[in-house]
Amino acid sequence: MGAYVELARAHAPLLMMSTAFAAAVLATLSPPRVSWVIACGGALLSAVFAFDLALRLLLGGGEFAFLVEAVALETDGVTIFGAALLSFASVAALVAAGAQLGDYEKRAAPFALALALMVQAAWIGALGARDLIGLFVAVETAWLAAVALLALSAERSAQNGAMRMLSAGGVGAALFLAGAALIYHATGALDLPRIAAAHIEMADAAALGAGLIVLSIALKAGVAPLHEWLGAGFSRANGLAAIVIGAVGVTGALAVLVRLAGYFAQAPAMGDGVSIALALLGGASVVIGSLQAVGATNLRRLAAYAGAAQAGGILLCVALGSPAGVAAALIQLTALVATALALFGGAAAGGVRTLDGLDGLGRRAPLAGAAIMTGAISLMGAPLTLGFLGRWRLVEAGVGAGWWWAAGAVIFASLAGVFYGGRLIERLYFRRAGEVYLGGAGAWRFATAPLLIAAIVVTMLGIAPGLLLQAADAAAAHLLGAAA
Amino acid sequence: MTADALIIRIAFGLAVALLVSGAAAAWISANAIKRIAGLAVAALGAIVALAALGAPGALIIAAAAVLFAHVAFGAALAVRLQEAYGAIEAPELDQADRQDEPAEPDL
Repeated sequence: MGAYVELARAHAPLLMMSTAFAAAVLATLSPPRVSWVIACGGALLSAVFAFDLALRLLLGGGEFAFLVEAVALETDGVTIFGAALLSFASVAALVAAGAQLGDYEKRAAPFALALALMVQAAWIGALGARDLIGLFVAVETAWLAAVALLALSAERSAQNGAMRMLSAGGVGAALFLAGAALIYHATGALDLPRIAAAHIEMADAAALGAGLIVLSIALKAGVAPLHEWLGAGFSRANGLAAIVIGAVGVTGALAVLVRLAGYFAQAPAMGDGVSIALALLGGASVVIGSLQAVGATNLRRLAAYAGAAQAGGILLCVALGSPAGVAAALIQLTALVATALALFGGAAAGGVRTLDGLDGLGRRAPLAGAAIMTGAISLMGAPLTLGFLGRWRLVEAGVGAGWWWAAGAVIFASLAGVFYGGRLIERLYFRRAGEVYLGGAGAWRFATAPLLIAAIVVTMLGIAPGLLLQAADAAAAHLLGAAA
Repeated sequence: MTADALIIRIAFGLAVALLVSGAAAAWISANAIKRIAGLAVAALGAIVALAALGAPGALIIAAAAVLFAHVAFGAALAVRLQEAYGAIEAPELDQADRQDEPAEPDL
């Protein structure tokens, strides 16, 4: 038995992806409630492999290994950190899906669960891809699975949102391919470590290629102003689709962006261009996302635009190209996952769509209200939350590099967060209930509780962030060391 | 400049033109079918760019497979939109969605 466990641990990078894929296949063959159990089991197993790897390599100082098994995988620090984060979000979303299955036609529910698992598995695959071919296939698989998940929602408006997502993602795919063509022309390689180490003579072509790939992934992460699909997609998604796309899909894309930027930053011919592109995109996303969140009247749209502002902060961190910047990005990514779970999970649990639906929700649904409030205070960047910690680390890294304007962008995001986050809290606790509780009925509604509790606990990790900081620092140091 | 280099430049220029025009159509067109056609044109441009710049066959095959998946999925979605809304123009779909949105309750 022990030998089998060791064998499984040795192949953990492959297993954390393939267990989710296998569970997706099994889920499609089973009735709804059985498929839910299978989906939760598959996601949990994947999470066990991911967290075991993180404990061994990021916190335990173990040896990283390059693994080739049918597909070429490269396990670097960000792969492991991101996979653990994605599998955590996926487990939370799939457990909560027990309360959301009623939103689907009976025969569609197993497919929805399978697609959610596909999103998780494919983004983990993208995080571990060694070359641009594997990365492209994995990213597009994840994106198409997310679009299909949205389209499966019972309401017809979801199909309208899915069409927006599909066309935006298709443009992103074309940009990625053009970028890969230019990089191959300039470097003669598609392997990420070889690209990072290549002696590049056609620097302009390489920088343009890297910029196009960054742009393509940023589009899929919902970074403003490339977030045309964001509002349409989220406001029309049902509970499960919103949680999976918001907490797993967007996080996966951002983690891939962090990893790619780490590799590109090591190539002198590309590093500066990519850094400037990331900084411009990041600054724009902070400002545009914050302003749109202030004006939003739909809770899911507000959460999505606030996520775009947070994503902008992550891009600013990565643009610094230093270990401190990458570590700050990983902390902000964790904060983004917790906030997305809290807001989208709270909205699903409370049956809330518009901000008016929040009125008095803190009394009607205390746990959902507490989760949304926690997400809101993290968006404000209040002390003791992960939102604060992530922004503090960005200010530290930015000021250390002389990027005072990045610190200004963070302060702007926090001020805007006070407006829209404060509006959420005011509606939750300081208004009379405007409508009856619209969340689910019956025992299954409690399936959302673990997600809400997990979101609150992770957001409050800002109180004792030691392990998280250690893991983020180790992941960043390894990424930049491995890529060098 | 050699003939080969000239051919590569012409092919790459054609690829960029296809990519930009297709991406613009996919991004801004109101009609779902035109969006899908734009996607196909943009992806075709990207594949021409890959071929012109000598990218490995595996990447070109992967690109063709993904292009097929996008177009097939997009066509299915367009059919579903037509069935559900009786229209595939974005303004008409958005208008119908606004009407579907439940009215805010009276306080």
